[in-house]
Amino acid sequence: MMRCTRRTFLAGTAASLALGPRTWAAERRRPRIAALTTIYHKYSHSQHIVDRFLDGYGWAGRHHRPAMDVVSLYVEQVGDNDLSRERARRHPRMKIYPTIAEALTQGGSNLAVDGVLLIGEHGKYPVNEKGQTLYPRYEYFQQVVEVYRRSGRSAPLFNDKHLSWNWDHARRMYDTAKELGFGFMAGSSLPVTWRQPAIDLPFGGQVEEVMGIWSGWLDGGDIHVLEAMQSIIERRRGGETGVRAVEAFRGERFWKAMAAGSWQAGGWDPRLLEAAFARSNQLNSPRPTYSHALPTTEELRRLAPDSYAYRFEYADGLKASIVQFKGNVVGDCNVAVRLNGGSYFSVLFYLPYYTMRNFFSPQVHHIESLFLTGKSPYPIERTLLTTGMTAAGIESLYQQQRRLETPHLAIHYQPTRHSTFWRT
Amino acid sequence: MKLPRRAFLRALGSATVAGTVHPLLAATTRPKRIAIITTVWTYQSHAQHMGDRFLVGYPRHGRWHWPPLQVVSLYVDQTPAGDLSRQRAADHGFTIYPTIAEALRCGGQKLAVDGVVIIGEHGDYPRNHKGQILYPRFEFFQQCVRVFAQDGRAVPVFNDKHLSYSGDKARQMVADSKRLKFPFLAGSSLPVTWRLPPVEIPYGAKLDEALMVGVGGSDPMDYHALEAMQCMVERRRGGETGIRSVQLIEGDAVWRAGEEGRWSKRLLEAALSRSDSLQGDSELDSRPQDLANNGQLPKLVKNPAAYFIERNDGLRTTLLMLNGALGDYCFAAQLASGTIVSTQFFLPPTPNVTYSACLVAQIEEMIVTGRAPYPVERTQIASAMLDRCLDSKVEGHRRIATPELNIRYRAPKVSRFGG
Repeated sequence: MMRCTRRTFLAGTAASLALGPRTWAAERRRPRIAALTTIYHKYSHSQHIVDRFLDGYGWAGRHHRPAMDVVSLYVEQVGDNDLSRERARRHPRMKIYPTIAEALTQGGSNLAVDGVLLIGEHGKYPVNEKGQTLYPRYEYFQQVVEVYRRSGRSAPLFNDKHLSWNWDHARRMYDTAKELGFGFMAGSSLPVTWRQPAIDLPFGGQVEEVMGIWSGWLDGGDIHVLEAMQSIIERRRGGETGVRAVEAFRGERFWKAMAAGSWQAGGWDPRLLEAAFARSNQLNSPRPTYSHALPTTEELRRLAPDSYAYRFEYADGLKASIVQFKGNVVGDCNVAVRLNGGSYFSVLFYLPYYTMRNFFSPQVHHIESLFLTGKSPYPIERTLLTTGMTAAGIESLYQQQRRLETPHLAIHYQPTRHSTFWRT
Repeated sequence: MKLPRRAFLRALGSATVAGTVHPLLAATTRPKRIAIITTVWTYQSHAQHMGDRFLVGYPRHGRWHWPPLQVVSLYVDQTPAGDLSRQRAADHGFTIYPTIAEALRCGGQKLAVDGVVIIGEHGDYPRNHKGQILYPRFEFFQQCVRVFAQDGRAVPVFNDKHLSYSGDKARQMVADSKRLKFPFLAGSSLPVTWRLPPVEIPYGAKLDEALMVGVGGSDPMDYHALEAMQCMVERRRGGETGIRSVQLIEGDAVWRAGEEGRWSKRLLEAALSRSDSLQGDSELDSRPQDLANNGQLPKLVKNPAAYFIERNDGLRTTLLMLNGALGDYCFAAQLASGTIVSTQFFLPPTPNVTYSACLVAQIEEMIVTGRAPYPVERTQIASAMLDRCLDSKVEGHRRIATPELNIRYRAPKVSRFGG
């Protein structure tokens, strides 16, 4: 079991490389940021995130320009559709370096930046036998840490999406950040994007069962749904206590679970599914000529026969499912919650689907906060847990949908009391 | 986030915004009977989007909601290729009548429905010299009114979008509803759709200036934009006081008017900061940009239009139609306190277009409770201001004094958007 006690915190600070006041503040200059990415093209995560630092973005009634400079960029794969060169030409302050170490040191010998963006999404990387894309986030992280150690100084780091496809990597990344004492933030943009309606679980609310739905994208999509769901239920009474077991469902087992009628009967509460569908703006109509209708289970099966689900048992008894409709059922991510006493609420995690993909704006807003304060605006443990849940769900699918105990996911944490999703 | 209990309860669907038991949740003995009067019922027409919701339900407060309403009759003016009205009547057991009067009387002698939904959008109708499509909403409404007068009973009526292309006809429709004392609701879905962020003008706040940015053709889409702006500014101190003058200008004169301060560039920045669909470089390679200030607007927008609407209390309100700059509808206003309120009126994608579910919920509430949830004067004034702006457009972009638009009303305090 992992528990962040005062003792481990103190142990962490003893070895800390964060040397007192932030260098950039002491030197009365703007923070310098390094961006490390697999690839930089239109619609890549790095384009969405780094562009917002370079060109600013609409925020709270202004065109906001972050009070910091991206000074170095590392891009591993440069294809015909690359934009990194165009960006470097237009923003001469930002130099492209051939290695991660050089990007971090700006070609010198010691760490020369005050914040690091690690964006390992998109690009050509192998997919393993379980269906996981082997993005090199852990490898990038290790190279960053090497520079930190060598320089005797660290800087806050943002890691896009899950920490890694691999649980052991993720755990090591988390432990290293604690050991060195630098601000570590990660995760999906879903927890911080607009919600419809703009509500959250009342802090300390009691939750019985929860469900998240989306469109069946193994690994890369699973983490989004899990992070969205986790950002709500972590606010429940007692805070997060971790996950005890996982069980995957696919094929005939999936449709049997869908028809079961309750968690106890081997499935999930069908009213949670209805509540989730009832928030969607992209619910494919099961009937020709009707533009919006609630699908029956038979219709769901016809539209998305290869759907899958994970059921998670939390340590405090909370029951959670994510249902991934692989096919044309739902185009957006929705989460539904049954509270103690039988009332329901559900929200859409709205991702503005236009070209600019403005759901990256609230994420960048929070990354700016990480770089300015040195602290993650929400707990890294959320992403540590969802990284582990994603890997465990995929493992269960891989092992013929066997129920797996997950003692390594006994992760305890308390969320921030204030909500951090986009409301302004 | 301090979660207001009221908002949370609303989200649970267990109460209205006002916190009282929702009348729709009260036991109903029998569903109310409604007639739909429409121009055309084809896939993705307004009649299909809205009419279907009475037949197969719609999402509301996180449930799939089945309205306690029964469509019993339909009048459809045109049945082109792709007509769905016959199939719907067969599937859902209602009758199509050849006249509006027969639809309202269900083929009998007396008014036989509890509510009427008029959807006069889409279909093949002529345009006039101002570019307005002459949808026969006024004529449909008059036929309903005739039945109400003859049968000595009137029922609630909903009219989709503007009351009419004609401000005079709109005034007469509102007068008829008052004379025969029936609840009358109308308008666009923009005032009731989701907002990003979900904000209102604080009720009773003093406003310095308001700006709406929209896109699309004149008449169909500028109406939506004008009513969206209206639902925001009507909440100002003193309520709506009517319109003193209107003017529509086009082309480079729009940019010059901005330089001269006739519309606020600061409010344009605020409105564009809410857009998810900036064009130009943003469309090219997805980068965000400061479109209000980077000099690109005149390159992107070949024929801008500004609709200046000056209110009787002195408030200046402007609609900028900026085709080529963006693809959504955004609003900004400066309060006397200096605060700027800005938001996007969110139009969810086809085919679901869930904004129409937000509107159908208002129609349902009126028919069930017998009270229009917001005043029809909002739609009347927006209809009339558009009509007069288009007069300005065809009359050399002149400023037109509008003493006849002395339409005064108070907005409800309760917000009605989202769902």
